[in-house]
Amino acid sequence: MMTEQNPVAKVTKRDVTKVWFIYYLGAELSNSYERLQSLIFCASMIPVLKKLYTTKEALSEALQRHLNFFNTEGIVGSIIHGITIAMEEQKAKEEDVPDAAITGIKTGLMGPLAGIGDAVVWGAIMPLIIAVFLPLAMNGNPMGGIMPLVAYTGVTLAISYMLCHKGYTLGKESIIGLLQDGRIKELITGASVLGLFMMGALSASYIKIATPLKISLLEGSPIVIQEVLDSMAPGLLPLLAVFGIYAYLKHKGPRYNRILVTIILISVVCSLLGIL
Amino acid sequence: MNSLEVAICMGLYYWFSRLRLGYTFSSMLLQPVCVAVFVGLLLGDMSKAMIIGAGVQLVYLGVTSTPGGNVPSDPALASCIAIPIALKTGMDANLAVALAVPFGVIGIFVDQLRRTINAAWVHMADRYAEKGNLRGIYLCAFFYPALAGLVIRFPIVFATTYYGDTVVNKFLSLMPLWLTHSFELMGGILPALGFAITILVIGKKQLIPFFILGFFAVKFLNIGVMAAAIFGTCLALLYRGNSSKDGGAKA
Repeated sequence: MMTEQNPVAKVTKRDVTKVWFIYYLGAELSNSYERLQSLIFCASMIPVLKKLYTTKEALSEALQRHLNFFNTEGIVGSIIHGITIAMEEQKAKEEDVPDAAITGIKTGLMGPLAGIGDAVVWGAIMPLIIAVFLPLAMNGNPMGGIMPLVAYTGVTLAISYMLCHKGYTLGKESIIGLLQDGRIKELITGASVLGLFMMGALSASYIKIATPLKISLLEGSPIVIQEVLDSMAPGLLPLLAVFGIYAYLKHKGPRYNRILVTIILISVVCSLLGIL
Repeated sequence: MNSLEVAICMGLYYWFSRLRLGYTFSSMLLQPVCVAVFVGLLLGDMSKAMIIGAGVQLVYLGVTSTPGGNVPSDPALASCIAIPIALKTGMDANLAVALAVPFGVIGIFVDQLRRTINAAWVHMADRYAEKGNLRGIYLCAFFYPALAGLVIRFPIVFATTYYGDTVVNKFLSLMPLWLTHSFELMGGILPALGFAITILVIGKKQLIPFFILGFFAVKFLNIGVMAAAIFGTCLALLYRGNSSKDGGAKA
């Protein structure tokens, strides 16, 4: 590009990497109820801002701009940092980018990208990686804990590094195009299918509910309820538990404590009565 | 290692894992299986620590993945307390789960406290930004929250792991059979919560059949985790391929 004509220092690949890494390090560290990730967003932009804005007033203004409310998923969301760097660079060069445009693109993208990130990174990749190594842990092998740490960190670092740089090179227009592109939707759907299938597979082996109830008839052997249930389809009670809780969460919102207390009560009562 | 050292180490581990230094790194660090590795090293019984850790992990498999950064339950607090106590008192994984869950709930309040306190640093950063003080902003983003975290997190785990095993031992010896059994039940049912949360996060109604497919694939065919991952990937690719043909135009 036309670096010679332009008094503003050029943002290097290294600067973008610095921004990405500071954000990765502290994305949740300073998270607060008031402005969520605003503090880390501002802190992560420092390497670029101090290069672009040499006067104290301009720097201070830029810092304050990035202390606005911000919150997204930290891996997929790093693309926003790339775009913001590109926009700040534009603003420092030509001064035709209004503050509201930068804040607007940030807040506009943080929701959809959080949705993608939550579904792919937290809904599929994370449980999948833990699940693959869980049998090792169950056999007492420390690799069951070490491998997820290495694999999940490695995979997500690679994704967010790539996306942040991609965001910088693409700039704002193409990103909006990319979000509307069918491929992102396909990716989320694919990840969700895999995630759900795995969660189903895992819940089959890990939720253990069976009833010892028997109905004694006058003559012959008693009817064992669990055997009857198993002959219909194995695992009906665990499946019922999952979808019962799911239905409750869906209709009443995320009331985890109430569900926890209910599960504890059910366990105690059913144990006392010998139902489960 | 003596009890005091173990309690100090666990307190520090809880603080560090919940510090959230490194977005995904720390979120894995606070999972029960990772806590178990640390406890195994500390107490010198890796195998048992991992088995207990795996049991606690099941409850929290889907729990970390809630949108908005809210902690629905804290697997780190649960496991930093339950795994060492379970290992020292020799309880099995189900009982450890029952011990872990209440602490997981307490963890929510600790995290709410942290995020409330963290609001103070944002205001501090506002003032630093006005002055263009870059070092001040870094301190607000990293140092002050870390310090506050140490103050609110270390004591809980330190105190409970230091005094916990004697209390728990006494309690265990007094416990009637029906209560022990109810803990087993809890350990069996609680993972359902984790899975239900995951379905909620992924959240598309028309995809729920894939959950049921995975469930019965294991129940009827007895396939292992790797096999499930392979089948699941194929299904994902197949479904994606089909839906893109008719779904592309609508998007």
